[in-house]
Amino acid sequence: MLRSLKKLLKSNYLFTFGCVICLAWIIAAILAPVIAPYDPIVQDLAVRLQPPSKAHIFGTNSFGQDIFSRVLYGGRYSLLAGCLTVILAGAIGTFYGAIAGYVGGKVDNVMMRFSEMILSFPSLILAMIINAVMGSNLFNTMFALVIVAWPTYARLMRSVVLSVKENEYVAAAKVLGSSKLRVLVKEIIPNSVSSVLIMATTDIGNQILMFSTLSFLGLGSAPPTPEWGMMVSEGVDYFNKFWVSGFPGLAIFTMAVGANFIGDGLRDLLDPKLRKNM
Amino acid sequence: MKKKLLAVALSFAMVLGLAACGNSDSGSATNNNGNNGTTAESGDNGSAEGNTVVLAMGAGFSTLDPGYVYEKYPPLIVNACYENLFKFMDNESAAEPWLAESYEFSEDNLTLTVKLKENVTFASGNPMTSADVLFSINRCKNLQGNPSFICDTIESMEAPDDYTVVFHLTQPDSAILSKLTYSSLAVLDSKVVKENGGTDAADASTTDTAQAYLDTTSAGSGMYVMTSYKPDEEVVLEKNENYWGEGTNVDKYIIRIQPDANAQMMTLSTGDIDVAMNLTDDTMSELKDTENVEILNSASKTVGFVMMNMNEQYGGPVSDPKVQQAIRLAIDYAGVQTICGEGTLTPYSLIQSGFMGSKDPRPTDYTDVEKAKELLTDAGYPDGFDIDMTVSDLDMEGVLLTDLAQKIKDDLAQVNINVNIVTQAWAAGYGDAYRDGTLGFTVMYWGTDYNDPNVQLEFLPGQSVGLRAGWTAEMDPELAPLYQKAMEATEDDARIAVLEEIQDKTYESGPFIMIAQAPAHIAYNTRLEGVAISDPYAMDLTLINVK
Repeated sequence: MLRSLKKLLKSNYLFTFGCVICLAWIIAAILAPVIAPYDPIVQDLAVRLQPPSKAHIFGTNSFGQDIFSRVLYGGRYSLLAGCLTVILAGAIGTFYGAIAGYVGGKVDNVMMRFSEMILSFPSLILAMIINAVMGSNLFNTMFALVIVAWPTYARLMRSVVLSVKENEYVAAAKVLGSSKLRVLVKEIIPNSVSSVLIMATTDIGNQILMFSTLSFLGLGSAPPTPEWGMMVSEGVDYFNKFWVSGFPGLAIFTMAVGANFIGDGLRDLLDPKLRKNM
Repeated sequence: MKKKLLAVALSFAMVLGLAACGNSDSGSATNNNGNNGTTAESGDNGSAEGNTVVLAMGAGFSTLDPGYVYEKYPPLIVNACYENLFKFMDNESAAEPWLAESYEFSEDNLTLTVKLKENVTFASGNPMTSADVLFSINRCKNLQGNPSFICDTIESMEAPDDYTVVFHLTQPDSAILSKLTYSSLAVLDSKVVKENGGTDAADASTTDTAQAYLDTTSAGSGMYVMTSYKPDEEVVLEKNENYWGEGTNVDKYIIRIQPDANAQMMTLSTGDIDVAMNLTDDTMSELKDTENVEILNSASKTVGFVMMNMNEQYGGPVSDPKVQQAIRLAIDYAGVQTICGEGTLTPYSLIQSGFMGSKDPRPTDYTDVEKAKELLTDAGYPDGFDIDMTVSDLDMEGVLLTDLAQKIKDDLAQVNINVNIVTQAWAAGYGDAYRDGTLGFTVMYWGTDYNDPNVQLEFLPGQSVGLRAGWTAEMDPELAPLYQKAMEATEDDARIAVLEEIQDKTYESGPFIMIAQAPAHIAYNTRLEGVAISDPYAMDLTLINVK
């Protein structure tokens, strides 16, 4: 596995590129207090809406806050939201789908119709409604994203489980007297989870975008939290001052692209059907 | 690989969707600035028919029937096509007789007798009489639309002769003249309106069918006649050939309902439009160096305020008068004005600058952080405190309330009050909490219903807005009775005296801090003269001439 990862890094430049971008953002987010030249929240109206300069390399916004510092801190929220959403949605979806697929019958039918009910809502609108009703803060936004995202994982997991549970080793475990739960946890889930992992890695980028979209629409943390999406929306009123929304927008773009490259690379690595082609 | 490219393209497109608004525009804006030479050539908007003026204004209304108009922009059109008994001239703070010749209050201030001008005719040629006035006001009252509340203090009316109207009031109402200037009480051509389904009967709310007619044309005595109205698109006004007074030299107005500030900025700089009414601070700065464009900034009567609940259950520490005063001293008013944009004013206290009786604006050097800290120590909070500030998703004339909240958070941090901003959509609970008076600490704005300082009396203890801050009449027995006193003072001098007393009493106390009157920005082509920002009408079209 580690060897193939090395091979992947060497052979797949996009994957390497994605790793570099994401690592850079992770380091920037962790070291933000050290790197950032200014406090991301303290205002200084004397220097409001300054174009990029030596003192403020990304310029300043309408409160005179340093956009570079805010972009660095903003990475924390986007990374956290992207990763946590995928982990939570993946975990919920995995168990839900595994149970539905393994138990089958009426239970499967009811469980899957329920998840399809959620899928049938436009995801962005559903997330907005959840957020508006529960009040908007970072936690609720992630909660809304998880609600919207888990059914996709559940469906994928169920379809994999349906084929895995026909394998002989499952039958063997049953014959040996393992309980249903034991079969599910010890045999089925471990053998089905790789496809979910593949989907999860490609999904991180999407979730970061979703999160930015929601915070752009005012459904994230309350201001003055430096969230990228919210920072982009701050610039909407300042059309001729490109830096106000341009740099946070660029940050979202690089982060989303980096996460997608990594996801694609990992899919190549984890998916045995694709590995042959490498 | 195809999928990868697709993924890249998609994420790129999505980010651009978010970011492009910030980026893409700078190029085209400079292009437009290069085209200044064309500004003067705007005569092609129908110069054959005489002077045509094109203006762009905001949306937010769906009818131009005076009986229903209530929103911000319809008065601009209604004021050009219809006339009222009284009118605000040149942004004066007192209403002047217009269709009225003279007026007189009775001793007890419960009866207002208005003599009408005798030479007034409607666009149809019909003469204007007291019957038209009665019809119009009764119709507005009985339609029970949004603006009907304005007639609340009018108990009944009578017309002893063709040119006299007597108003019987339910209580002394010093704002009655201002109310009579309101577009909803414009005098309609009752004959024409009745022919088209209008009625002023008590059941007018169900039987009146004139709205459809009044949305296609106007039936007033004003300088212009509305010839076309396409909702959310365009209104066309043409000169009233039968106008009884003296008109201006503008023959036709094409009013585009196009609220986007950037579109307005660009079309103004290319000369496609002559007046832009919805500019933001940023788009204005783009126009600053444009030839042939004049910019007007002035403070509107829409005011942003901080509310601190007097009820300790909701307000917590901010219900303490000492803390309230500390917050009042800690706010950086100059900074708030910078954020709201050029033209912003901080009113003296409850009554906005520009209203009758308003005192000079609060000085921007009122801020005194040291004194604020002392007051906090006195109040028992030497190390400050943490507090939630609930803010809605609304904006005050384009200034986001969350922006004001961020500024206040930053200011209060100077005196160790740690504000935690909590955003809540108006529709998702904020509106109810605000009206029920359960918000502890918030920033909100207030737009005036009609152009009279009496609308501000609602902020007094025991009145509707005062109660939203948990401010009951018992809490301030000196201030509360001034409501009635102000309502009863029909003489200007007496009124001003009461209003000044109210302002002095609320300058340094009370649960409300009026932090800023939002600015209005209008930019216009210099081929026009007489363009001015007007509070009651947004802009008075009857004063504009082409040079």
